[in-house]
Amino acid sequence: MKKTVSQEREAFHQQLGAVVGPENVLTEAQATASYQVDGFTPDGVVFATSTEQVSQVIRLANEFRIPIIPWGSGSKQEVGPCLSQSGTILCLKRMNQLIELDAGNFTAHVAAGMVNAELQKQLGEHRFFFPLDPVCMETSTLGGEIATNATGPLRLKYGAVRDLVLGVTVVTPTGDIIHTGGKTMKNVAGFDLCKMYIGSWGTLGIITEAVIRLFPLPEVSKSLLITASQENAFRLVGQLLESALELSAIELLDWTAGRYLGDHGAHLAEGKVLLLVNIDGDSAAVARREEAIKALAKTNQASEVVTLQGEEAAEVWNAYRRVHQALLDAVPSTAQGKASVPIGKAADMFRAIKEAGQRHHAEIGIRVYCGSGLLYPYVALEDDKLIFVIASLKQAASALGGFFIVEAAPLWARKKEGSLPQRSDATLMKRLKTAFDPNNILNPGRMFGGLY
Amino acid sequence: MEQRLIKELTKIVGRDDILYDLKDLIAYSYDATPRQEMPDVIIFPHSTAEVSAIMKLAHQERIPVIARGAGTNLSGGTIPVRGGIILEMSRMNRILEIDTANQRAVVEPGVINLDLQNALAPLGFFYPPDPASQKSSTLGGNVGENAGGPLCLRYGVTSKYVCGMEVVLADGEVVEIGDYVADPPGYDLRGLFIGSEGMLGVATKLILHIIPKPEATRTMLAIFDTLEDGGRAVSEIISRGIVPGALELLDKKMCWVIEQSVSAGYPTDAEGVLLIEVAGLADTLDRQVEEISEICQKNKVRELRIAQTNAERDALWKGRRGAFGAVARICPPYSVCDGTVPRDKLAQALHRVGEIAEKYHVLIANVAHAGDGNLHPLILFDANNPEERAAAKKAGSEVLDTCIAFGGTITGEHGIGLEKMDAMRLMFDPADIAAMRRIKEVFDPDDILNPGKMFPPDESQPQPTQEEVA
Repeated sequence: MKKTVSQEREAFHQQLGAVVGPENVLTEAQATASYQVDGFTPDGVVFATSTEQVSQVIRLANEFRIPIIPWGSGSKQEVGPCLSQSGTILCLKRMNQLIELDAGNFTAHVAAGMVNAELQKQLGEHRFFFPLDPVCMETSTLGGEIATNATGPLRLKYGAVRDLVLGVTVVTPTGDIIHTGGKTMKNVAGFDLCKMYIGSWGTLGIITEAVIRLFPLPEVSKSLLITASQENAFRLVGQLLESALELSAIELLDWTAGRYLGDHGAHLAEGKVLLLVNIDGDSAAVARREEAIKALAKTNQASEVVTLQGEEAAEVWNAYRRVHQALLDAVPSTAQGKASVPIGKAADMFRAIKEAGQRHHAEIGIRVYCGSGLLYPYVALEDDKLIFVIASLKQAASALGGFFIVEAAPLWARKKEGSLPQRSDATLMKRLKTAFDPNNILNPGRMFGGLY
Repeated sequence: MEQRLIKELTKIVGRDDILYDLKDLIAYSYDATPRQEMPDVIIFPHSTAEVSAIMKLAHQERIPVIARGAGTNLSGGTIPVRGGIILEMSRMNRILEIDTANQRAVVEPGVINLDLQNALAPLGFFYPPDPASQKSSTLGGNVGENAGGPLCLRYGVTSKYVCGMEVVLADGEVVEIGDYVADPPGYDLRGLFIGSEGMLGVATKLILHIIPKPEATRTMLAIFDTLEDGGRAVSEIISRGIVPGALELLDKKMCWVIEQSVSAGYPTDAEGVLLIEVAGLADTLDRQVEEISEICQKNKVRELRIAQTNAERDALWKGRRGAFGAVARICPPYSVCDGTVPRDKLAQALHRVGEIAEKYHVLIANVAHAGDGNLHPLILFDANNPEERAAAKKAGSEVLDTCIAFGGTITGEHGIGLEKMDAMRLMFDPADIAAMRRIKEVFDPDDILNPGKMFPPDESQPQPTQEEVA
């Protein structure tokens, strides 16, 4: 006799229990409620503690044809294209060990469920750090950050995830365990599958371990807070980026977002923006950089330059990272998008965002990763007005040679506007997904929601 | 190749851009490795449209296509093992755009690495990957192999500096992968494509990330009596947070060979020398030089020479840049190994290489990108002596085993090509190789793009004895 859906699920959960232990499979409505994604309540949550377990879970999911939604800390679950089906959550946060710290080679081998902030704490005890500092690093897991290609201010000097991760261990959508990359700085053996997995949003496999590059903590690290008019600030940014000063971060907050930075941003008048610049290195180099930045700030009529060091500097970056959530929380309907434009066109995109806000009488807060040409507007609007703003931002970004996508937003907005820009390589990406995940088990709808 | 196909191809590119005489075919039958195989035809496309038309025909007729730049690669990657078309990209060599405000250069793949550097230098910018072959190798070839170079210690390899590409796929379709701007949505196909050795498509346009040149550099030569001391100095320099612009190691044999043809002033009686270059803000380099000099003293450096003038700096670099050429002059049929180990294992690995040389009675000279743990042992042998040839082959294979045993890899920057197909099995499990094959099938289901490379002949079989290459 054919089993009913619920009998199937029950059998699936039972077999999962045999793999990870029944205590590590949650099926009670009460327990699964906090794992709601995109309007779906999962039928179960399973906690794995090893790559081998993840592999067995995925094999079972293929047998039962039940989708698996990989989960680290959940901080990026409701970002981008929506899931098209519900399924079982596979949570990796109990895989949270620093497996090996190779101090001589400047690498660490880390299990995917380790939270970034905890990793930094342990590395700090050995005078190392990992220069990936996304806004959610207090809670986000390393595996999640790699899978979503998270980005943070230090990218300017230290590179993106793809420059910092040397290898990943992955369980493929059919349950095979594969090792990509290695622990050497250079490695060109075979196709670079590691790169393919970075930013693949859990659709091509589940990252269970990673080998990452470490850097010794710099002798000195300083932060400069520069207040200037919008025009002057962007001109200054252009000069800094074309200089040989090798800054580690240049972030910009507009007068709306700046208000959430605490004391440092409270005074920002309309039309004024705040630049957060980070410099690190030996004391001689930092002193020279500080001097050069101050001189350039002066020629560009900055109204204020504050230098912070030590605890104070760390605190301002903590506050900076909290701005993201504060803006999202300020008005419940807030949508956050991302515009990526040529680095030299960030000022134009900034103006376009502000103009769109004025046209629709909305206050839009903006954060800018100046070194990469990435702008994050936070739009507090509802219904059609939001859709109009999104449409004009897409148009503006595209006219500048870039693109705009909706990231964190209420479900209705993501369903309506979550599609990704048209790309000529979309067919190739879809073929890749089908070749790796013939049963569409991993994160169905994610990423590809907008690609076909 | 059938006359009909030659005619079709001639129609696409014109008479001046196609070769099929025996003498020409011979000229394109080899690269910088010893193996030789004959292609059927050599074509010089001038545009994406021509590349696309050629690929469409090749796809329809199932003809192998091997994209080729300057043919400087060191792993047999451009040898046409199954004949077919050599797609010689050197005539697509225009620099299309340089925009310092956006930090981008857009080029055709046939542009020579150094030509781009020369165009960028007056603007105060540069493109960091600097393979030793940069005077002749093309940027398209650099992408195909994910080329490195001495500066990559500080700045990273090719993969970090290619933002996007226009690619002609196996069936002639033209797609854009990656982007001019940061973080395009979707899979990082550009990441997959870089270092794919011409097996996934033909790049016809490259969008590169360019960066401001450092204000100043200082160059030093540190001479050590033991490799261990040199190795320790490397580790300590990096631990201090100093990221030199380059950190190159040459052993005694290498210095001797170099001094035979280039008078760089390298000592011939020291076990190892380090060529160290720091880069950064002009008035902060003294302190770095001082720190490095302290570290070297602590590790029993015999002598530290600091270049005081540009001429002195050039002289120090002359030896390193001329290393491969110097070897070729005294012993043309050398083979270059390209293993990489975790950087603190470099001295140990070099010792092991010395033992291997003794065991097989071959001469091995070493140069290494020490800061990256990337070794390049050069094995010298007499090609006319079958025993020596076999010994060199065995020694090379044991060097790779050594690198893996130290937790390293079989190739840091030269690629798998033909040379290391069998060694793939030492690095990867069958599941890893199966995943790579899946990628190949997605991009090139008919296996016409550079066929017969990278993958070991049959994963299910135990590793066969390696056949001779010379």
